[in-house]
Amino acid sequence: MKLQERLDAFKASFESGAPPFNAPRAAIEIMHRATEELRQSGKAERALGVGSRAPAFALPNQDGQIISSADLLARGPLAISFFRGHW
Amino acid sequence: MMELEALQAVLPQIRELGASLVAISPQLPSYGRAVRRRAALEFDVLSDEGLKVAQAFGLAFTLPSYLEELYRSFGNTLDKFHGEPAYRLPLSARYVVDPQGQIRAADVNADYTVRPDPEATLAQLRGLSANSERQRA
Repeated sequence: MKLQERLDAFKASFESGAPPFNAPRAAIEIMHRATEELRQSGKAERALGVGSRAPAFALPNQDGQIISSADLLARGPLAISFFRGHW
Repeated sequence: MMELEALQAVLPQIRELGASLVAISPQLPSYGRAVRRRAALEFDVLSDEGLKVAQAFGLAFTLPSYLEELYRSFGNTLDKFHGEPAYRLPLSARYVVDPQGQIRAADVNADYTVRPDPEATLAQLRGLSANSERQRA
């Protein structure tokens, strides 16, 4: 199954309010409201896009070792996934 | 998590192209370790404390107070996970950067439940590798 199909299936299961999540209707509505406001803010459209220079970074990995974008780019192209968290 | 697992599935192909993959979140490194273990990830999960890099990409935003309240009620304590009192997150985003540091593909979505397929990212990386092969030839 494609990633988006899996995400859609998870979302449908979560938003059904059924176990194992038992998500209350009110909570789901709050999340929808927040996503809709974020969408309308136009923030995504103002983020860096194609043709911009990628800001350089040097960040600790899971073991505290510093990983720099310059080192990675010296080896080849780089894919970056920004994600929210482990939760 | 589902997205990171899907990226892990194409990691061998990404590396075959001579490309790299990293994930970035505002979480402290110990949570990065947890994510990697749980999803059996073999790529680095970087800790962007204070969302400095997310901010540089224009991705950082503050949660509205009503959402912060909901997250707290779920035990989703971002202040603890991030080591800062503010409830901030990055927009979900995937970038492809060429070796010169230029962004060649960007997928940023205000709705974190909509994510691009890893195959799309793989195709973009392949395109870059093909270009550099041609330049060398």
